[in-house]
Amino acid sequence: MAQRAVFTSEMIRSELEEIVGPPNISTDETDKLVYSTDWAWMPQMWLDRGERLATPDFILHPGTKEEISEIIKVANRFRLPVVPWGGGSGTQGGALPIYGGILIDTKRLDKIIEINEKALTVTAQAGINGSQLEWALNEKGLSLMHYPASANCATLGGYLAPRGTGTISTKYGKAEDLVIGFEVVLPNGDIIRTPHVPNHASGPDFMRLFLGSEGVFGVITEATMQVDYLPEARLMRAVLFDKVANAIEAGRRMMTRRLDPMVIRLYDPASTGSLVKSVLGYELEGAYMVLGWDGDPDIAALQEQKGMAICDELGARDLGREPGEHWWKHRYDFYYPPKSLKLPWMYGTTETVTTYDKIEGLYAAKKKAIEDTYQDWDAKYIGHFSHWFHWGAALYDRFIVEQPPADAQEALRLHNRIWNTAITASLENGGMVNEHHGVGLKLARFMPRQYGSAWPFLQSLKKAIDPNGIMNPGKVGFGF
Amino acid sequence: MGSAEIKFFENVIETTENCRYCLMCRHTCPVGLGTHNETLTPHGWGLIIASVKRGLLTWNAQTVDALYSCADCGNCRAHCVFDQPLPHAIAAARAEVAAQNLAPAVVYELNELFKKWGNPYQPQAPEPLGGSGNVALFVGDEARYLWPSALAAALKLLKAIGVEPILVGEGRSNGFLASSLGLFETAKMLAQAVLDDVKASGASRLLVLSPGDFYSFGQLYTERLGIAWPESVAVQEVTVLLADKLDAGALKFKPISDETPYAYLDPTHTVRVPERVEAPRKLLAALYGKPGLEVFWRKDRAHPAGNTALQFTQPELSHQLTMGRLYDTLEVGARRVICDDPGTLSAIKAGAEQVRLEALGLYELLAGQL
Repeated sequence: MAQRAVFTSEMIRSELEEIVGPPNISTDETDKLVYSTDWAWMPQMWLDRGERLATPDFILHPGTKEEISEIIKVANRFRLPVVPWGGGSGTQGGALPIYGGILIDTKRLDKIIEINEKALTVTAQAGINGSQLEWALNEKGLSLMHYPASANCATLGGYLAPRGTGTISTKYGKAEDLVIGFEVVLPNGDIIRTPHVPNHASGPDFMRLFLGSEGVFGVITEATMQVDYLPEARLMRAVLFDKVANAIEAGRRMMTRRLDPMVIRLYDPASTGSLVKSVLGYELEGAYMVLGWDGDPDIAALQEQKGMAICDELGARDLGREPGEHWWKHRYDFYYPPKSLKLPWMYGTTETVTTYDKIEGLYAAKKKAIEDTYQDWDAKYIGHFSHWFHWGAALYDRFIVEQPPADAQEALRLHNRIWNTAITASLENGGMVNEHHGVGLKLARFMPRQYGSAWPFLQSLKKAIDPNGIMNPGKVGFGF
Repeated sequence: MGSAEIKFFENVIETTENCRYCLMCRHTCPVGLGTHNETLTPHGWGLIIASVKRGLLTWNAQTVDALYSCADCGNCRAHCVFDQPLPHAIAAARAEVAAQNLAPAVVYELNELFKKWGNPYQPQAPEPLGGSGNVALFVGDEARYLWPSALAAALKLLKAIGVEPILVGEGRSNGFLASSLGLFETAKMLAQAVLDDVKASGASRLLVLSPGDFYSFGQLYTERLGIAWPESVAVQEVTVLLADKLDAGALKFKPISDETPYAYLDPTHTVRVPERVEAPRKLLAALYGKPGLEVFWRKDRAHPAGNTALQFTQPELSHQLTMGRLYDTLEVGARRVICDDPGTLSAIKAGAEQVRLEALGLYELLAGQL
């Protein structure tokens, strides 16, 4: 790591302080420690074991996109890494300041600029908290319809940068499908806006370059998102399948016949017997599936009726409304301690996505790879199928090691080996490196393999956009 | 420190192990939202305490300053689905810091004031108990010294429904502030003095003027101070009692025809007592003939005003919280802000004048329209 002399640091600090103002810059050791970890297991484990992490040299809280632009220009001049920080709720280490440098906390950019009730859009600064944005929309009978588990802590920019998803993305789309346009500060400090509508035939769609860029192509400062009216009706249901294969087929038929469920959440038997039991209190054997339809009451009811007929054809037992409604009410409880997976356990969400013809094989292969290879560690594998598309589904799977090595370095090595196994199994069986948590630091090493011959092209883009390599180096597979 | 106290601290500080990496209440923390600083959030405080435990940080000026930036408003716990008592854990950490003489100097100054005068506002001992009876009213220090018109108005309203309570704790802090500062022994002393007064009054019903008092007697004493509240004494907020009487037809008000748009400001600690939110709104709707405007940070997500311990340890932050509530009120188009809690009213008064909002006490408004 670069060890900056105090003199040099002070010279840089003075420039940065002039941009954001003295109250909005920190080099406090306490702040540095807090900002040294995001929601990933690796840095949390590291701190838990009493080990120190790399910290930013400067923590800045700019109030405008112009300030961000000026900060980035200073960073270029001094070749300082820049790490954008929203809610710090990423699970992939994407916001870790591993090379020190400047950490830009975007949360002062938290204004709603416009709620357009005719176009059904909201324009807001990227640092706004997700739940607060949703509450503001609800006051007008509207909703972003983007309900990730991280809504309480993530920011709008954080929704977009890793291509996040939400509980009802099956119907409403991922964050990348909801965005109409945005503003971004480029790695050279230029501020640009994408076109004001997302669908057109007016040249290449460069907006999508920034979705999934996780800060390596710039800092998103503002976004316009589509919104919906709060649904008149929301019908929840739960069913139980004996076989995961039948449940997957039920989901596939519902999606491909355009029955438009807002949620299909299918828990494999291991998840049903562990997480569903511990969080929701249901003792069930088999594959527990939650279904939901919303919108116009008559349409939702008909869609549900058709969906339930499919489930019945495939041997599901109807558990009724209550388990579905209970799941909906407690859908985020899985992420609160003490119910959430937590230290000192080792765990990882190795989620992926593939097409319907491959999803069963992918699930079986990953399960076997984890459980067989790490038998000595008694590694457990649980999974649920969380987000569904017309062409395939996301497998939200996890490994758990309840008694990992006590030594931090050994634990990290084991963790990374398990991830290697999981991602290799994904890639070899038609899955992607990740479906909605992003790549960050944790999965960066898999990017060349994911993209193959396209990887040099992406690297050349990065080089063109960020010639000094200052934007979030080490993440998403891009170095300096 | 006795072994029972050490166990309490250990059990409570264990909460920080749960909260240090959890971000699920960050959307409601007023300090985090106001400062935009990751460190000054529930997870930040949890991580600081956990990091001191692991030797990654020590208690020094920086860490103590951060530790004493939590408002102890209860928003985090109120929005935790598993009810993690983080405010108690932070208070317990402050107690450890205070015991090591590392707390901000003002904490020790306040300790002396609490011990000598029973309150931090006036060098005056609490009024002695004035008698005995079935119903008592806890006055406290904020109503006595910061917003006395609320007490007079509340007594007038209570008389109108046939209640003439004995005044207890007149000029005495309920113990919350001391506990929030980490002065647990002093807080227990104050709490015991309140309990002694209540017992001596012979009251089986204790009325209070604010949700902060209701929370202190109903939860804080037991959970944070290990002091049991007597089961024979039922606690009720005056506002809630008045709303019940209004519903029963036992209380009537002359309507106000003033068209000034108004908003009710949920007092500090409302999130700890969410069942009380409709009572003041009902009373105001009866006065004005229509409901008031609703601010964004309301009801079960109501932010505190500046009447927490921050007013002493972090006055700028305290002011920022207060102004935040007033801007929230302005943003919905209100020109008048109404509250029942003497402490909240005292905190917002100066700021309200600054932004040309009329700040009125609910009890006074109601008493004027009997």
